Amino acid sequence: MMLQPIMDGLVNGAIIGLGAIGVTLTYAILRFANFAHGEMLSWGAYIALTLSGLLGALLPALATPIGPFSFGWSVPIALVGSVVLTSVLALAVDWLLFGRLRASGAVTIILVMASFGAALALRNLLEFIYTSSPAYFTNALQISKQILPGLRATPDQLLVLGLGAVLVVLVHLLLTRSASGRSMRAVSEDPQLAALVGIDTRAVIRMVWILGAALAAVGGIMSGVIVQIRPTMGLDLLLPLFAAAILGGIGSVPGAMLAGLFVGLAEAFTVQFIGAEWRAAVSFVILVAVLLLRPQGIFGKAMA
Amino acid sequence: MSDILRVRALSAGYQPDMSILKGVDLKVDAGEFVVLLGPNGAGKSTLVKTIAGLVPIHGGSVKLRGEEISDLPAHLRLRHGLAFVPQTENIFAQMTIRENLQLAAQILPKATRAGRIAAMMDTFPDLASRPGTRAGALSGGQRQMLAVARALIVEPEVLILDEPSAGLSPLMVADVFARLKAINASGITVLLVEQNVRAGLSIASRGVILVEGRVAHDAPSADLADDPVVAQLYLGGRAQEGAQ
Repeated sequence: MMLQPIMDGLVNGAIIGLGAIGVTLTYAILRFANFAHGEMLSWGAYIALTLSGLLGALLPALATPIGPFSFGWSVPIALVGSVVLTSVLALAVDWLLFGRLRASGAVTIILVMASFGAALALRNLLEFIYTSSPAYFTNALQISKQILPGLRATPDQLLVLGLGAVLVVLVHLLLTRSASGRSMRAVSEDPQLAALVGIDTRAVIRMVWILGAALAAVGGIMSGVIVQIRPTMGLDLLLPLFAAAILGGIGSVPGAMLAGLFVGLAEAFTVQFIGAEWRAAVSFVILVAVLLLRPQGIFGKAMA
Repeated sequence: MSDILRVRALSAGYQPDMSILKGVDLKVDAGEFVVLLGPNGAGKSTLVKTIAGLVPIHGGSVKLRGEEISDLPAHLRLRHGLAFVPQTENIFAQMTIRENLQLAAQILPKATRAGRIAAMMDTFPDLASRPGTRAGALSGGQRQMLAVARALIVEPEVLILDEPSAGLSPLMVADVFARLKAINASGITVLLVEQNVRAGLSIASRGVILVEGRVAHDAPSADLADDPVVAQLYLGGRAQEGAQ
């Protein structure tokens, strides 16, 4: 009984962590809190749902479940397509909205307000296209298996955990070991100096949108595979994403992932021991506590 | 000697309707060492930042080797051979010394990057002794050395520095200036902004004095140092004393 919330919390935390990486990178490099980021998770999930549905209709063999998992090859293939299309969507939003505001010298609060507007538009468009009814990648039922005494997990849940861990390591390596990652860190620290060392800051900004949207799409698909897909799934995840990004320390990828796991665990234990109605309050409590006690988060550096 | 950097009737400023530079004309020959002098608020830093592509141009032109670069963004001006070292915040403090140099070397062909980083480590042994140190932990002088090394790594034709001596001890200033002389002797054109008129004129071959966004004097350093008007205005009226 004690161990089961750990598995539920870790799985949900992996999804929150992937979304929080996008929030933390956008905040560190573009210097504003992007409240439309949650919608990238929803759009990623719906794009994948559409693509996997099309693939399944065209080639029914692709819909046959792979081994112990609940879904067929249509879902991983759709994931790749969704990552590309969600990235294109994020770049389009930047081109239409945020890029124009940056060029006009808009202050941070204008960008934040614009992100609220973008979130609303993206969410309503999704609801208009797909309706507000929940959707599922598959109707197949999965039986959870015992991993340890008192701890059960489905193969899908274990896959989500494994994929989350692999992705966070890859993103961390990208940021710390590659030229692109160094450029992103440089723009995050000082955009003007970054330009003086020959870095095209506009290219870096595009890279941040692509990376954030790609991870959000994967997070949304994971959530869809484990639970369900709804147009409001991004909105529901928004507070946990921000709580994780701030708890992990703005700009820190491992921090966002670890904090995402922490938020997921805190939610799961709250549901288990206090009540499901308090789940949404957990992220808010964490957010307020971090802002009051350690505003720079776990891995962030204190402001001078 | 042919001019490598040419600024004509340059007007620029941070606000569209407020020009700090009001028609600056400046010519720097290849291999020359020019010092840019003037009182506070004259527009020295604005001029070099405009040449580097950091301040919007309202009118006029900036040419490098005869090629118009006014419309190029800052990151492309470096690729054209123009490197700029700002006065402050000229290194990535959160990154290590090695990462700062790796970042600067990124625009070079892959095959030459390691060689150029090693060359900079040889030129600045202080940096070579601790490449893993976070740049933010360095002293003022070491930071300036790292900033200069970062700029030199791409082998620029023109090196522009905005008051590299600011905030340094006299010993460190002498060291920085000696290095700048050596850099110029290696064939790199240097344009230096300096607040200390006497020190600036002592290392540069030519001095340009900027007053209220315009060039007020442009002459060989020795002539400027001996000019009684310049001495009266900028050297505390002691040109004759200094000459004697």
